[in-house]
Amino acid sequence: MNHYDVVIVGAGAGGGIAAGVLAAAGKSTLLLERGRSLSFEDVARDHLRSQRTSRYGVNAGPDLEGNPRVIVDQAGGAHIVEPADGGYSNNAACVGSGTRVYGGQAWRFMPQDFRMASIYGVPEGSSLADWPITHEDLAPFYEKVEWELGVSADASRMTHLPPYNRPYPMEPLPMTKRAMLFEAGAKGLNWHTTRVPLLINSTTRNGRPACINCQHCVGFACPVDAKSGTQNTTIPQAIASGKCTLVTQAMTERIIVDSSGRATGVAYFDREGVRHEVSADVIVASGGAIETARLLLNSTSAQEPLGLGNAHEQVGLNLQGHYYAGAVGLFEEDVWDGIGPGACMATCEFNHDNDGIVGGGLLADDFIATPFSVWNGMIPPGVRRWGVEAKQWMRDNHRRVADIKGPVHEIPTSVCRVSIDPTVRDKYGIPVVRLSGFAHEETVKVARFMDARARDWLIASGAKEVWGGGHGRGLSGGQHQAGTCRMGDDPLTSVVDANCRVHGHDNVYIADGSVHVTNGGFNPVLTIMALAWRTADGIAKAW
Amino acid sequence: MAISTASPGSILAAQFGAAGAEALQALIDTLIPPDDWPGGWEAGVGDYLARGFANQLSSFVPTYMACLASLSAEAQLAYSRPFAGFTPAERAELLERLEDSGSAVEWVIPPARFIRIATEHTAEGFYADPGNGGNKDSVSWKMIGFEVAG
Repeated sequence: MNHYDVVIVGAGAGGGIAAGVLAAAGKSTLLLERGRSLSFEDVARDHLRSQRTSRYGVNAGPDLEGNPRVIVDQAGGAHIVEPADGGYSNNAACVGSGTRVYGGQAWRFMPQDFRMASIYGVPEGSSLADWPITHEDLAPFYEKVEWELGVSADASRMTHLPPYNRPYPMEPLPMTKRAMLFEAGAKGLNWHTTRVPLLINSTTRNGRPACINCQHCVGFACPVDAKSGTQNTTIPQAIASGKCTLVTQAMTERIIVDSSGRATGVAYFDREGVRHEVSADVIVASGGAIETARLLLNSTSAQEPLGLGNAHEQVGLNLQGHYYAGAVGLFEEDVWDGIGPGACMATCEFNHDNDGIVGGGLLADDFIATPFSVWNGMIPPGVRRWGVEAKQWMRDNHRRVADIKGPVHEIPTSVCRVSIDPTVRDKYGIPVVRLSGFAHEETVKVARFMDARARDWLIASGAKEVWGGGHGRGLSGGQHQAGTCRMGDDPLTSVVDANCRVHGHDNVYIADGSVHVTNGGFNPVLTIMALAWRTADGIAKAW
Repeated sequence: MAISTASPGSILAAQFGAAGAEALQALIDTLIPPDDWPGGWEAGVGDYLARGFANQLSSFVPTYMACLASLSAEAQLAYSRPFAGFTPAERAELLERLEDSGSAVEWVIPPARFIRIATEHTAEGFYADPGNGGNKDSVSWKMIGFEVAG
């Protein structure tokens, strides 16, 4: 049996960073990824099958066939769904995972985001809690990621955060016409604004060129490789070091334990469906909040019949992602200048300190939308969606509409959860997940509050009409999925400790959004990466 | 993905019969009518659907089959003519009535729902990337000013 110092399950944001750090520390590392390595041409520019608009398919995995999940609707009905279904909560399966096709918003969480329960109390029916670590613990690792992968932004405008130890390595990407309007509008409201930090080169760096400001950023691969994910940074570096072996199309079945219940390696199926077992000193799970929970729950043993790390039945609880609040505005003149990626101007004025609201969220202008997405999501209510009227509306207004939106800091609840479906299995015969629950009412309250702030901003920026917003109670997960293996000091209420090591196991760690106690009012990827770096650093030192 | 080289009209006629295909073409041009810019059919929505019905839209074929027949029956009842023989204004008026007030004949699904489905598929063919088979020569992108560089 092959033996490695470390085996990492999942080559996304967290696993890709962990592989880079551990290989650099000299650890022999096996990186298992269920998806493929995708070229620009593989990802393509299909406006109906992208990570952004998965109408009939996805462009960054997993395959539509053979990877079902079960979702339970709010009436209690269970349905088998494929990856292109919204309820599936897909988060890509390829080398780099979501970072292959994301927009790359690179936000640090705020100090308050780590102390939600202390600041706001615990709303009834919620599982709101503080993190066992603070912003200060993570700040050095945020900086490492910002410099290692490369973030373009302006630290002097991040006035919602403690001062930076080191500014960003690159200037922000160019301003857009929309962003100038929004900046002026916010000034009129006396709101601070900042440039959206992006994991995209604004200048040639690390052998890759600057962004060419194309119109197909979020949901697609970068045509010039200016966008930095783990697939073009830490993973190739790890492989080049000679210490890391990447195996693609390798689906991990379970974490293997010995007769005492101690983890000794993993079992995975290769692309031919052949089952392999490898041993390792340390196992790192980094499949994302849904697949990591699945891996632990499927890793049953005599000592832990409910799954590895699940003695207290905490694995899979508190699934959260981001409700998106926002609004669409129609302007008198063209606001579209075609300068991508589009996310340019933001405010963190409402992430905290909102009267009667638990938390809040950031607001920013949006990535350039495809024409079909504009038709699908931005035509105002009251305009008939077919006929001369709809066509004329698109012709007159495609360049005059703009939306502002942002991720809502969700109030977690244990009702939202990942469990194992008793009957449905994937193409390898591995039991699949069952996703159930509905959002806490405080989450919806925050989302409605933020809808109103987006409308305020649009109107102050000159929009003559605004619409959009409104929220149900649907389960949240998706690309920002988090929370299912919560970090905490108490094994009765958490899955991993403050070092992201699974309670009760000395050699099993988690490096993905699963460990987030709460998910911030920000895109979570920089936090996932920073935390993975911190966790991997700890592993390198301890092992 | 199966891609046929036959014309969309002949593929759709083989699928829905000559009358059904004519009704579908008229429906597409009612949902996105020609004006200063091409209508849905000329822009390639028929091509998108002909390809889609063999692929991602295959499960909708029975719905279209039944609903195009119902649409034809509604047309006969209203003006004793096939839907394709209506003026554009008459077609729009019938669809609006079906959407807002309901139907005079039997439908397998409410006509408003069929109109919504057909509207979405037509918009996919019209506004999505030409690689999906419609939006010939990126005509809708030119119409709305979606300029792609890089």
